[in-house]
Amino acid sequence: MRRLFAGLSAGALLLAATACGSSDGGSSGKGTSSGGTTTVKVGLIPIVDVAPLYLGQKKGFYEKQGLKLSLTLASGGAAIVPAVASGQNQFGFSNVFSLMLAQTNGVALKAISNGVASTGTQGKDFGATLVRKDSSIKTAKDLQGKKVAVNTLKNIVELSVRESVKKAGGDPDKVKFVEIPFDQMAAALDKGQVDAAMAVEPALTTIKDQGGHEIASPLVDVAPALTVAMYFTSQQYAKQNPDVVKKFRTATAQSLAYADSHPDEVRQIVATYTKVPASVLAKVTLPKWPAEANRASIETQAELGDEFGFFRKSPDLDALLP
Amino acid sequence: MRGVNAALGAAGLAAFLALGEAVPRLSLVKEAYFPPSSRVASALAHEVSDGAFWSALGDTLVGWAIGLAIAVGAGVAAGVLIAIVPFLRETTASTIEFLRPIPSVALIPLAVLLYGTQLRSVLLLVVYASFWQVLIQTLYGVQDVDPVAEETARSYGLGTWARVRHVLWPTALPYVMTGVRLAAAVALILAITAELAIGAPGLGQRIAVAQASQAVPELYALIVVAGLLGLVVNVGARTVERRALAWHQSVRGEVAV
Repeated sequence: MRRLFAGLSAGALLLAATACGSSDGGSSGKGTSSGGTTTVKVGLIPIVDVAPLYLGQKKGFYEKQGLKLSLTLASGGAAIVPAVASGQNQFGFSNVFSLMLAQTNGVALKAISNGVASTGTQGKDFGATLVRKDSSIKTAKDLQGKKVAVNTLKNIVELSVRESVKKAGGDPDKVKFVEIPFDQMAAALDKGQVDAAMAVEPALTTIKDQGGHEIASPLVDVAPALTVAMYFTSQQYAKQNPDVVKKFRTATAQSLAYADSHPDEVRQIVATYTKVPASVLAKVTLPKWPAEANRASIETQAELGDEFGFFRKSPDLDALLP
Repeated sequence: MRGVNAALGAAGLAAFLALGEAVPRLSLVKEAYFPPSSRVASALAHEVSDGAFWSALGDTLVGWAIGLAIAVGAGVAAGVLIAIVPFLRETTASTIEFLRPIPSVALIPLAVLLYGTQLRSVLLLVVYASFWQVLIQTLYGVQDVDPVAEETARSYGLGTWARVRHVLWPTALPYVMTGVRLAAAVALILAITAELAIGAPGLGQRIAVAQASQAVPELYALIVVAGLLGLVVNVGARTVERRALAWHQSVRGEVAV
């Protein structure tokens, strides 16, 4: 019981601390270093997007910078952001919009490296709005009055579908958004629980394999070469360990560039940390991995977030971005 | 009798597997979402040939065992203490009733904040959920002590420790064992749930990865493993219970029949 209460009160303190934007890090906040090598814990999601880190680790790009990565897979961003904010993990991977949301909620994060970008090509992106084969929905405009599955409400996926509908000449407020995890979208679409779904790989390929039909590339509709996700740390860690952050940034830029030019190796390494069936993996559309984030595309996301009323207050991009 | 029971059990399992094979084959449900038993079996065979599967299984069992041990130790100690000190019983009763129904999964954000995606966050959830099972049963057990036996022991001059050892403990043990058996099952469920939701290493995380990867047969194979693990835990807990209570009439009675 005492342990429990100690835990509960420590948790409350930490919550309060992070809420004020002054997390005190926690005991393991520094990362451990031995013999000139610093071990950093990085929280990732088991998806194609984070392949560059696995590749970079394998190729020794991080080792060359004196970093040892301890990669931990979390099932979603919801587990990654608090782990980094509280100093349990030094770095994490998250979509940029979630980082902005966290910041407007008072969690002091710092984006440090590019993570993943959309391909920027209509009809050939790693995310798409799909409908059933026999659907009467032909364009994003037809989504008005229809039920559309998104993985998380009021986040990047809903934002991009709204923008996609708007650009096609429709009213995004007339679309009914339903929250369904990516991996369950194929079944939901099939059973007619929703009229359309905005899915990313590998769910996208699964839906197409079942005869699903692509009607729009919402991420491309938001901005060409949209920066979707980034690697981040806490403001405190960034301030106290500028060297480690710089090394991580250098090695990650190298890893991103390598991944971008070696798609076959990407597919191979993805098979080591996910269970994507080989038949699906061969077909998935790989994202783009530019070494630098596209600031203009992030500003567009922030503006759209304001426009659609997703934020409590506008995010401060100067404080958030590198 | 035993042979008949085993045969019936095997027949039931075979029928279930046949049903699992037939339902998707007859297109009653789509194969893509509910693969036939044979495909799940081959995915399972593939899983067990993978070293990473065994280390995940090990992680889950370690989380389960440590969590259960802490919960049982703390639950029994706290239960006996609370039950024999009237002041403690009165001051904690409402707090326990308030804390007990809080679902352990509600503590996931707290666990992540405190311990990230490590074993310790799994332990927090496992211990929280299984502690109450042991504590409540221990409290009931201690309350069930026969006042006449207690008074007799007292008048024979037995000290506090001797009374706990010879009067209280034998009465409470069957209750405690029930608590441990319930806690063992709850601890396993919570260990896997925590891995699934938080991403701490283990079977649950493998299930989450399979799910995110659209690897449906593997997903079901891992769920089957989780089910088998639950079965083993339950059988194990019952065996321990039977051994520990071999002297007790509830167990002796079973043998006589």
